Amino acid sequence: MTNQTTIHLTINGHQHELEIEPRVTLLDALRDHLGLTGTKKGCDQGQCGACTVHVDGQRVLACLTLAAQVEGRAVTTIEGLAEADGTLHAVQAAFLEQDAFQCGYCTPGQIMSAVACIREGHAGSDDEIREYMAGNLCRCGAYPHIVAAVRQAATEVAS
Amino acid sequence: MTVHITRHGDASDGTEAVGSRLSRVDGPAKITGAAKYAVEQQLDGLAYAVLIESTIAAGKVRSIDTEAAEAAPGVLTVLTPDNIPPLKTASDWLGTPPPDAPYCPLAREITFSGQHVAAVVAETFEQAVAAAALAQVSYDEVPAIVDLSDGNAGDGIPIDAMTKAWGDAEAAFAAAPVRICAAYNTPREYQAPMEPHGLIARWQGDQLTVWEPSQWLDGMARTYAEWFGVPFENVRLVSPYIGGGFGSKALALGHGAVAAIAARMLDRPVRLVMTRPQTFTGYGGRAATRQTVTIGADADGIIQSIVHRGVNETSIDGMWVEPLGSTTSIMYATPNFSSRQNVVRVNSVVPGAMRAPGENPSAFGIESAIDELAYEVGVDPLEIRLRNYAEQDPHAKKAWSTRQLREAYAAGAERFGWSKRSPKPRSMRDGNQLIGWGVAAGTYPVRRAYGEAMVRILADGSVEVESSSIDMGQGTYTILAQTAAETLGVPADNVVVKLGDSRFARAGVTGGSRLAGVMTGAVHKAASAALDELVGLAISDPRSPFHALQANTLVVTNGRITSPRGEGPEVSIAELLASVGRDRIEAKGDTMPANSTAEERYKNYTTIAMALPHTEGDYSRYSWCAHFIEVRVDEDFGTVRVSRVVSALDSGRLYNPKLAESQWKGGIIMGIGQALLEEGIVDRRHGRIVNNNLADYLVPTNADIPDIEVISVGIPDPHSSVLGGKGVGELAIVGVAPAIANAVFHATGKRIRDLPITLEKLI
Repeated sequence: MTNQTTIHLTINGHQHELEIEPRVTLLDALRDHLGLTGTKKGCDQGQCGACTVHVDGQRVLACLTLAAQVEGRAVTTIEGLAEADGTLHAVQAAFLEQDAFQCGYCTPGQIMSAVACIREGHAGSDDEIREYMAGNLCRCGAYPHIVAAVRQAATEVAS
Repeated sequence: MTVHITRHGDASDGTEAVGSRLSRVDGPAKITGAAKYAVEQQLDGLAYAVLIESTIAAGKVRSIDTEAAEAAPGVLTVLTPDNIPPLKTASDWLGTPPPDAPYCPLAREITFSGQHVAAVVAETFEQAVAAAALAQVSYDEVPAIVDLSDGNAGDGIPIDAMTKAWGDAEAAFAAAPVRICAAYNTPREYQAPMEPHGLIARWQGDQLTVWEPSQWLDGMARTYAEWFGVPFENVRLVSPYIGGGFGSKALALGHGAVAAIAARMLDRPVRLVMTRPQTFTGYGGRAATRQTVTIGADADGIIQSIVHRGVNETSIDGMWVEPLGSTTSIMYATPNFSSRQNVVRVNSVVPGAMRAPGENPSAFGIESAIDELAYEVGVDPLEIRLRNYAEQDPHAKKAWSTRQLREAYAAGAERFGWSKRSPKPRSMRDGNQLIGWGVAAGTYPVRRAYGEAMVRILADGSVEVESSSIDMGQGTYTILAQTAAETLGVPADNVVVKLGDSRFARAGVTGGSRLAGVMTGAVHKAASAALDELVGLAISDPRSPFHALQANTLVVTNGRITSPRGEGPEVSIAELLASVGRDRIEAKGDTMPANSTAEERYKNYTTIAMALPHTEGDYSRYSWCAHFIEVRVDEDFGTVRVSRVVSALDSGRLYNPKLAESQWKGGIIMGIGQALLEEGIVDRRHGRIVNNNLADYLVPTNADIPDIEVISVGIPDPHSSVLGGKGVGELAIVGVAPAIANAVFHATGKRIRDLPITLEKLI
């Protein structure tokens, strides 16, 4: 079935109209139909966290979400995190300063998770950060630096 | 020839020189989502391919019913062994001339579960996935040899090249007053990079462009060229960022051939990305291994003899040797030694390189065995390592170029607090948690090769560095910017490094921890040549403001040119170039012998045949490390948590400690996974890997990892590289698993010799 449908998405504050099949995931809609490739496909089955985006401010796995499910809801991706003038979000800046990534492939998902982790109030201690960031795998092994970055950004966001 | 002064910085003169902690220059692209990985190119007319794999481990494909798949919406073609055009067999990574036989990347003869048997190409990804599910493959199945412990696996094939022997190891073992003998096993392990393997292939006439994550653009371009019978120059590989490789992305593989064939047949670009489960069989992980280590020693624990026997699995029709005697033969001084190795064929994909192939499982054997010896003779596990310290390479009988292992033991022990360790097993606890402290050493050879780089000084005074080498997170972009900046005397942010395009200056494989040493040397050479030309122009060109000075040298600092004594003008590089009417200075530099032929250059960059032995000449070159690890074992449940790690490492001079420390920690974390979590589990009925996904093949998560402290004890090693560094990337994983196993023994009194150390082995 080709069965195209028209959906309207709000991504990083911009409106998009897409003619796609209803089975297209939010992840593939972002990457293949909108050219927003910052959101990564690591497993396509909800196990690695690389595709983490925000839907109405909550962290969501874009690979387990159909694009049609987020019609009318606000989606934020890594491309929409910095300010319009390019000023980095505190979490992005902390990731750079703490060298919280190597290959960079899990990084957008880590950063989106970290922003939500801080917003949820789950960055109170290193152990809490580790627990609430455990859904985002990093095979390069940047975890100690990710914890340091989240801790640093949490302090900056609070001040 | 002009003389110029370069600063060999220790970072005391600024924040950007080689040796400084400059942040990743590719970082901003990676934290904003701007970094475009290979398969993320947006191309018009892109078609999508999906692989279909065998569901049996041995036998033949009887038939493939493609009717329903072909009729499905959007399907462009269904490729099977019956209709796919054959390619030519390509040479291997040594450049060995291939047999004159066709190569078909879709199999009729099945030798492992997960083998590519068909592919569907469609207008959209969703259509290709749906249609692939409609293809019906039927098989004639025969019994498979599922793994090393299969009753039909046999003893395997002796690999004579792995045999190492000196003295009379058997006799010395028999005569030794203290004798240790144990068997150590490691399972199949997987690289599991976060970015799955995949590519986009596009033909324009007989020109092929492949966007593919790659640890070796020139090697893979050679393979594609040979497969399709087109000149090497007709193939362009593009790989600007790589989402992790760990050894798995160095070679062109069958799925790449399928995509390139489909692209040619359809005359449009084709994208093929493996599913996560396919990444467990689309290429090989680390082979399962078995080792026996026997040590004969005197009553003080001084080693008299080591006898080592190893086995690794390989595939039915491919050959992979995991060198299991590599660490065994060099870590400790022994007058008598024997090591032999067999490989056993099983129905699996051919295993491949995974972070420190050989040294890693080898160290699990010898570094566990020496710990067993320590308890047997009642000597502290650190002390026994010092008593048997190898003052020279015991196998090559050559001096170490540098070996800061004694310093690593001292620095790590001091920081960890090793002296407070209570020696007896089960003697340290915190409530119901048994606490164990373990130590183990690691090593990795310094693999060296010749390199090449292009350096351009542009009209605005900025600098461009080009190389077809790659950055998969090691920090190549950054350290090459630092090297060019330091050599030329310009700020690092005036240097743009371009990597990951086979049109750039050639590069050999990024593997074996060799890239940083090779490429800093090549960039240093090219930048030195560019600086020579710049200074030469400034001195000799009549239009130069320095011409009247009649100086014989000039200094470039922070992008400005002055005379060493401060006489005369100070001008920027851009002003100098403008005054002499040049829009650029361009210098290609390589570290190959000056009389190298074009054929030798091609061979150097597209094969590994010209790599320089690490024991060449008077020295034996290795990186070294010592890991001190604390574990907490729940006495009731047998769960093991790593609670503290202090590692001291000798990678020679560090080009950028901030990035090297990250790589070391990453290796340690992968080692924690290897010790406690990672294991490919085989379904013995079907020869399948059942945990072929990231929820069931457990890699460490953030919650599994404590603070990790790394200490650099290296000193510049002039015998290992131009700028004094040794290998970084693979070293730190080596020795982690035995350090944890040794800590678990100290905690529980139970010696676990089969990785991973899971709770059922402890309760």
